[in-house]
Amino acid sequence: MVKEMLTGNYAAAWGARLSEVDYVPAFPITPQTEIIETLSQWINDGEMNAKFTNMDSEHSMITAAGTAAATGARVFSATSSQGLLYGYEMLYNVTGWRVPLVLVNVSRGLSAPITLEPDHNDILSTRDSGFIQIHAETCQEVLDTILMAYRIAEDERVLLPVLINMDGFYLSFTREPVEIPCKDAVSRFLPEYNPKHAFFKASKPMSQGVAVLGGSAYSYFKYQMHLASLNVLTVHDEVAGEFKRIFGRSYSATEAFKIDDAEYVIIMSNSFTIKGKAAVNKFREKGLKAGLLRLRLIRPFPSTELKAFLRGKKAVAVIDQNISPGSGGILFKDVTTALYHDPDRPERILSFIGGLGGKDIGHAEFKHIVEEMEKSIETGIVPETQLLYTKNDLEHINNLLNIAGNPLEGLEN
Amino acid sequence: MKTASRIVGTASFLEEFFVQDCPLYGAERRGAPMVAFTRLSKEPIFERGIITSPDINMIADETLLGDKSANVFQGTWEGTITIVNTHYPASHVRNVYGVVGEIVTLDITEIALNVIGESVLSSTAAAVVCKLTGMITESSLEKAVIKELSSINLKKELIEKNLQAALTCFDRIPETHPHYFEPIKEDKMDEIVKLEYADPRIGTPSVYAKGNTRLKKTGNWRLFRPVIDHEKCSRCRTCFVYCPHSCISIDEGDYPQIDYENCKGCLTCFYECPKKVISKDHEVRAW
Repeated sequence: MVKEMLTGNYAAAWGARLSEVDYVPAFPITPQTEIIETLSQWINDGEMNAKFTNMDSEHSMITAAGTAAATGARVFSATSSQGLLYGYEMLYNVTGWRVPLVLVNVSRGLSAPITLEPDHNDILSTRDSGFIQIHAETCQEVLDTILMAYRIAEDERVLLPVLINMDGFYLSFTREPVEIPCKDAVSRFLPEYNPKHAFFKASKPMSQGVAVLGGSAYSYFKYQMHLASLNVLTVHDEVAGEFKRIFGRSYSATEAFKIDDAEYVIIMSNSFTIKGKAAVNKFREKGLKAGLLRLRLIRPFPSTELKAFLRGKKAVAVIDQNISPGSGGILFKDVTTALYHDPDRPERILSFIGGLGGKDIGHAEFKHIVEEMEKSIETGIVPETQLLYTKNDLEHINNLLNIAGNPLEGLEN
Repeated sequence: MKTASRIVGTASFLEEFFVQDCPLYGAERRGAPMVAFTRLSKEPIFERGIITSPDINMIADETLLGDKSANVFQGTWEGTITIVNTHYPASHVRNVYGVVGEIVTLDITEIALNVIGESVLSSTAAAVVCKLTGMITESSLEKAVIKELSSINLKKELIEKNLQAALTCFDRIPETHPHYFEPIKEDKMDEIVKLEYADPRIGTPSVYAKGNTRLKKTGNWRLFRPVIDHEKCSRCRTCFVYCPHSCISIDEGDYPQIDYENCKGCLTCFYECPKKVISKDHEVRAW
């Protein structure tokens, strides 16, 4: 075991290397490229015994990943944003084939307008594909989650692929100290993949992912995927328990931060969570009982766990780093659905959208969220979904709009 | 600058600090301003991404000082130590730009050119910052330079030269200023505003202003200025043909003239001139 300064991308490459993957189909895209560059270098240098193929697109890449996994190979790949969307059609195929590969998504806001910094519309657009989704907060968690993901995906109770999300820039290009586990410990945790269900033998012909005509067959297989996904709620905790036993680090489906006596709870996901934790610490210094929940396992959605954490709280605010135009925040719906039937649910659940395209969520934003929660308790009025956008942001965009030229004469920006 | 931030990061890591380092860049091209950050702390770091109120602000390219879009003094406060890579004295930079907080100057480009032979600034910039922290030893800097430059496959001789340049800079920077240890001020409080629906011509990402690329002068990207010796020029027009940015025009006397407002200093003309009558001058007064 060594501790090194690693970027999230490099940590992801280490996760794949330590998992002793057999095959890496790849296609580069900013901010993911460093992952596959690193893997191709290691494979070229003989430090990793795997086959690397640079494909012609993400569509081919995900197809290659799924088909290779169907033959019993352990497969790793990575993409981001537009790339994930370009391969979108095949995501639903590989989940339907029930193949246990691991795909890392490096979050980046979707075009248009084109950008490079993160939000979660890319990864959350795949939430109904059947992929298991785990969202990471730190570079260490990226590495650790890859090791755990193979255990989860390859479990006979699951056999679904896993998508692991890390934020572009905030994790992908950020270095921080990461513990690289030793090979022996990883071998104990993650044994070689010897699937009973998937094989490619001349003596044993089979067809996988066959066509079905008629809704009863289709419904049967689709619902099996749903049940397999729900099994992850149990499997994840078992795997996390064993991970803790071997490596000493503990991961739960939902991470609770200062939640026990909290009256006001902020719900976040991914790398910006650390900003929320800092805000909670600041509020606590001022005597406000604040806490935070980080949604880590997004699919399946850990409703029961969430309910238990939030029982009896005064107010909850969900910060969605995504936007469903015409509807609001995506995860807010999952949270409210989970809580609706609980008799002791929080009094108020507020919805905020922040951090789109990597926009900072600063102290002014968190202060506003807490004030809105307090106000809502006092007045009984729950506000509509709000965008976390500040006076400075508005000044900034107005400057840009002026440079871009205002086609409306006489209209002050 | 990415490598510089990594050298500072690794040196801090070796000093057993909690550390984060990260670069931030948009469109990647030669001369594009870029920024990189390093955080070090004795406690776990409860922050991520850009640093909005730096304790140390290193400006490696002095031509960015007056560039409004680069805005290199953004977020500096009374406690910030600003270090500018320039041959000007600190007082001059302070007078011209009204810098808040402490200011230090050192011409690290000159040191890099003298010691390394190239204007590569990662080790020298990192050395300056390491010294200003007052918390990083020379030995950790040394190890960090070797580790980071080895990881990008630099040859041993070049790493040696970088190390020498870095240690020169480390020595040239005075001991750190006590202001650094004062607690950071509370962020200026911003407030949340409600966005209203805008006319679609405003509310869509479109640019209406025409021909504004011309307004962005690229002459300050230049590290070396090509100078044509018109006495010896044969008027062959080779430089005019090869200039990749169309910055060379032919005057009435049939002589090539360089548009210094926009010449990026790529030196294609310098290398292509068949009579070798184009020389290169190191730009030391870019502003």
